[in-house]
Amino acid sequence: MKEKKEKEKSVQPHPKEETLYIEEPHDKDIPEDDDSLRESESGGSESSEDEGFVNRGDGAGLDDDHRQEDVHENAETHQGVEESDSSEDEVAPRNTVGDVPLEWYKEEKHVGYDITGKKIKKKDRQDKLDSFLASADDSKNWRKIYDEYNDEEPYVDWFKWDDAKHPLSNAPEPKRRFIPSKWENKKVVEYVRAIRKGLIKFDKPKEEPRFYLLWGDDSSSTEKAAHGLAYIPAPKPKFPGHEESYNPSLEYIPTQEEINSYQLMYEEDRPKFIPKSFTSLRSVPAYENAVKESFDRCLDLYLCPRARKKRINIDPESLKPKLPSRKDLKPYPVTCYLEYRGHKGAVMSISTEASGQWIVSGSTDGTVRIWEVVTGRCLRVWEFGEAVSYVAWNPLPELPIMAVCVGPDVLILNTGLGNEEEQKRIKELLLVDKPTALEDSGNSTSWAQDDKYDAVRLKHFKTVSSVEWHRKGDYFSTVMPADILFGLILFSFYLAILIHQISKKVTQRIPFKLHGLPVSSTFHPTRSIFFISTKRNVRVYDLLKQKLIKKLESGVREVSSIAIHPGGDNVIVGSREGKLCWFDMDLSSQPYRILKCHPKDITNVAFHRSYPLFASCSDDCTAYVFHGMVYSDLNQNPLIVPLEILRGHTSTNGRACIREEMVRGLELHYVSFVRVCGAEDVMLERGCLRGSWE
Amino acid sequence: MPKHYRPPGKKKEGNAARYITRSQAVKQLQVSLPVFRRLCILKGVFPREPKKKVKGNHQTYYHLKDISFLQHEPLVEKFRDIRAYDKKVKKALAKKNRDLANRLLTRKPSYTLDRLIRERYPKFIDALRDLDDCLTMVHLFAALPALERERIPAKRIHHCRRLSHEWQAYISRTHKLRKTFISVKGIYYQAEVQGQKITWLTPHAMQQVLTDDIDFNVMQTFLEFYETLLAFVNFKLYHSMNVNYPPILDSRLEALAADLYALSRYFAANPVATMEDSQVVSSSGSEQAEVQQKGTQPDESELRLAQLQHQLPSNEPGALMHLVEDAAGEDEDDEETMKCKSLFKNMKFFLSREVPRESLLFVIPAFGGVVSWEGDGAPFKESDQSITHQIVDRPTQGHIFLSREYVQPQWVYDCVNALIILPTEGYMVGRVPPPHLSPFVDNEAEGYVPEYAETIKRLQAAARQEVLPMPGVGNEDLDDPQNLLVEGVISRTEANEAAERKRKMSILEKQYHDELKMELQGIQYSSSVSNMNKQISVEDTGAREEPVPDLQQIAEDTVNMSKVVMSRKKRRLYEAMQIGKERKRSNVNLLKERKKKIEAAQTSQKN
Repeated sequence: MKEKKEKEKSVQPHPKEETLYIEEPHDKDIPEDDDSLRESESGGSESSEDEGFVNRGDGAGLDDDHRQEDVHENAETHQGVEESDSSEDEVAPRNTVGDVPLEWYKEEKHVGYDITGKKIKKKDRQDKLDSFLASADDSKNWRKIYDEYNDEEPYVDWFKWDDAKHPLSNAPEPKRRFIPSKWENKKVVEYVRAIRKGLIKFDKPKEEPRFYLLWGDDSSSTEKAAHGLAYIPAPKPKFPGHEESYNPSLEYIPTQEEINSYQLMYEEDRPKFIPKSFTSLRSVPAYENAVKESFDRCLDLYLCPRARKKRINIDPESLKPKLPSRKDLKPYPVTCYLEYRGHKGAVMSISTEASGQWIVSGSTDGTVRIWEVVTGRCLRVWEFGEAVSYVAWNPLPELPIMAVCVGPDVLILNTGLGNEEEQKRIKELLLVDKPTALEDSGNSTSWAQDDKYDAVRLKHFKTVSSVEWHRKGDYFSTVMPADILFGLILFSFYLAILIHQISKKVTQRIPFKLHGLPVSSTFHPTRSIFFISTKRNVRVYDLLKQKLIKKLESGVREVSSIAIHPGGDNVIVGSREGKLCWFDMDLSSQPYRILKCHPKDITNVAFHRSYPLFASCSDDCTAYVFHGMVYSDLNQNPLIVPLEILRGHTSTNGRACIREEMVRGLELHYVSFVRVCGAEDVMLERGCLRGSWE
Repeated sequence: MPKHYRPPGKKKEGNAARYITRSQAVKQLQVSLPVFRRLCILKGVFPREPKKKVKGNHQTYYHLKDISFLQHEPLVEKFRDIRAYDKKVKKALAKKNRDLANRLLTRKPSYTLDRLIRERYPKFIDALRDLDDCLTMVHLFAALPALERERIPAKRIHHCRRLSHEWQAYISRTHKLRKTFISVKGIYYQAEVQGQKITWLTPHAMQQVLTDDIDFNVMQTFLEFYETLLAFVNFKLYHSMNVNYPPILDSRLEALAADLYALSRYFAANPVATMEDSQVVSSSGSEQAEVQQKGTQPDESELRLAQLQHQLPSNEPGALMHLVEDAAGEDEDDEETMKCKSLFKNMKFFLSREVPRESLLFVIPAFGGVVSWEGDGAPFKESDQSITHQIVDRPTQGHIFLSREYVQPQWVYDCVNALIILPTEGYMVGRVPPPHLSPFVDNEAEGYVPEYAETIKRLQAAARQEVLPMPGVGNEDLDDPQNLLVEGVISRTEANEAAERKRKMSILEKQYHDELKMELQGIQYSSSVSNMNKQISVEDTGAREEPVPDLQQIAEDTVNMSKVVMSRKKRRLYEAMQIGKERKRSNVNLLKERKKKIEAAQTSQKN
């Protein structure tokens, strides 16, 4: 039983599969207790085990003799070291060379240096014979040691023997000194068992060569990345630039002010590396972030998510669409040709006569002026005393009248142009017998004669922002933009847009429900279709059938203006975000093309009446002229090419307003602008190309 | 049923099924976080960026396949075993059973990484491609002190040193080094092995600064992998050279150290023998020991040759040289290697005490030079008359041999980068050397060419044509103003002037042609010329008046207009590109401005 327990004990610490290797110092126990073990084992019951052990023991004995010798040697050296240690504790060493191998001084005459730096001479060596004799004489010689380090033989006995009469202890030797130790025996049995079982092995594990030809033949290894996932190699570290040099060109070194300015930057904006210059290689110190950067790289390698990013390595110019040459698209306005000066306030609106000979401009200074286009002569001036927000010529050439928006009133003015017959007809037309009014729950629009200006005055209940004529010149529509505050009144939606007939002096509401706040309206150039743009989208109504045909979704935030292509199938819409939307009515209700051209609000957009041109003008003091070709072939989409940016306007009061219009004339085709020039005169400009334009 | 709703029991799909977060992965693998880290590092598994982050933005995502790839790794089991074993040892120690603990420690389970390397780099070329980080790290650790605190034993450092020297020896011997660059961070080298450009950084040979915010566990895991990788790579490279690996350190090395002088004299007598083999055998630590080894090396390698694979007679003193020459001849060197090999041919270098010896001993032989140094074991002494260049880095040189040139170390690196022997005037003792430029920068692409780069370019051109360079002529070789405009070298006004000149030239040319035509037609010259002149002058003035409006404005407008028609995506891309360009341009402008200021300051100082 006892043995079994021992067995277990010995087995327990070593798991079966482990092979153990025992160091030499442990081995020396085995031979010593060999005999005793054999004795104790012989009393045991298992004789077969015994036999095996005996054989084993004999075999091991030979080895052990050798080992014992080794051990003795070891012990001697050990002793020496220990002694010298103890002597060091007591006496400070004279020698100051430190813990260096004394072989270095083998050939020298000195063993080192004392504290003052003088050489410690070696003592003359005694003859071997003499020294032996001396040692034989001295009974205490065995206590002496030789201090190699200091080259002396110190000997300090810790006990004074001279006067002692009795031994230090008189106790009899204990019994344990004479009988073999039981625990040692047990230990030995444990080891023996372990050895026998192969748990303790004496031969060292064979060392295999750690490195070999791992990539034997590359051609054969066609195995793919192990797990079918795309391996993304880590990007290589950046190559050093000129500025990282130890001696960069002087221009790479930031000045002191620049370095100071880095301090004001945000931590992440600050340059990671500040170039420094050293005059020679020997003065370059160790880089303080070397380990840190290496560590950061390690972190990057195993912590950063990797993803393949397509690096677009293309010439930015190739992104630009191929456009037909601008030269082929002439004529179009290029430069400023004429300025019309005279207005004292911002010109809000201009309009051209059907023949193209005259233009009219309305300004915030309360005047309306008629100019001759070619000469720039001011023909006539009306003064209203209130800002004029809109002017519009009648599209009929034989009916030279115009509508002017002055606050809540719309005046139909007789311009006085045309021959006598025409004047007569106009006089007849503009005669209001009795004031009429559209009565509708308190809001009214009334027709009245205005004697002062020799005109018809239409009173609205709110400010009128724009007037648009029907192509036949009899009807015109007015828009009263509902303010957000007033927009709450539901009726205003119905009343915001009114259609007036001048021949009958009648005003009527539009019979449609408006969804949203109306911004502007236009008539279709050829058919009886009416466009109303609300803030988000444009609604197209058929006036004859009185129903909605289409809803154009612009997708812009706030529509500001609308213009219809003379063909009638294309619409452009300008927005307050500076975007211009081109709708092809046949194509879809979404814009065919959105052009982001202006950084500020677009105030107006317009088509040329005969040339494939359109333009937009904006608060940013520019006007874009585009080529917008609409093909009769339905399969071909319209071609839009930006042609020119017209500048030359200045704005001081923040809001500049431009109205431009393209007019079909006999030989005059122009884009005209009205601009504010701060304190100076208001000028009316006309951009026109010389030569090829006319 | 809404699309996003997954009924219970149905399988997940999409990103939610394909990617898991780190904590999920750790849980699935049933390992601790540090072990997970180790596994990731060793296996080369990295987080990925899913298109849709199901668990939120602040998580790290691993691909499920990556994790199952880890799960089947035998190393996981091995790590568990090791942990269990460590516990055993700990228990034994806790029970004061030193015997058992020691016995256990002698048979610690260990693991090897060769399989992993093979798995990660199926082909040798893959391993070479990924060697940059490996070399940088090993070289860094070779320069670090052994740290008890961080459990970096001296053995490890020595191993790194040995590996780095083995690598350098190969590169140097096969002349594969291409570029070098001394930066503030250390010295960059670029070698080209099997068509792969491998760049690494060795720190300056100084006491490195260690900060507290570094987790050496992570670095050690990396280092462990890198050491194995580099050893296998070295093996393969040495194998390709028919040299045994690992280079066996002869046990008699210490004994041989006594007759170092004889060997170095032997070396000096045969200057063909290169130093690379000396570095093959790694040092066992201190600088001095290394130097000694270098000295003993030829002999030692001879021994090796005899006892190992080479059949050359070892007793013959010329054996080694033959071997070296053979090895060199065998290489089917490409043109570049040949050029590199012959850069320092027939030159003998001597290094003074204060120059970075290890680096120069690597670089100079790599370009075919012979080198010695001040100290024990040097192949030849300072007083050797055949020395052509002595590399010194001190304010003044006391004793000067007239037969040789004294240059600063930067000269060697600049020569290597330029691949020509530069004039040594600028690099003399005590002078501030010309700026050291990075060979990794493409000056043309960067848009700014430093002055010295131009000088070097001229020298290179001169060397190609075998014509001596003319100092100070450089700036006049502006050829076509149009090209220069592209390069952005000359300013706007200059460009305008050039254009003007060109226009005049073309007018003159036209006139000449017209005259010729008229001559052919037989029109009398004198009468027509006056007319022509008038016409031309009219044309000239007309042409001149035309572009009065602001050119810049027009250019801007054209850009704006084309932008108007672009789709939003393209426009954004275009704008982003412009921003990048603008940044680059501003950098270049800053450099130019500084340069101008410096020049102004210099001229004012002179005056």
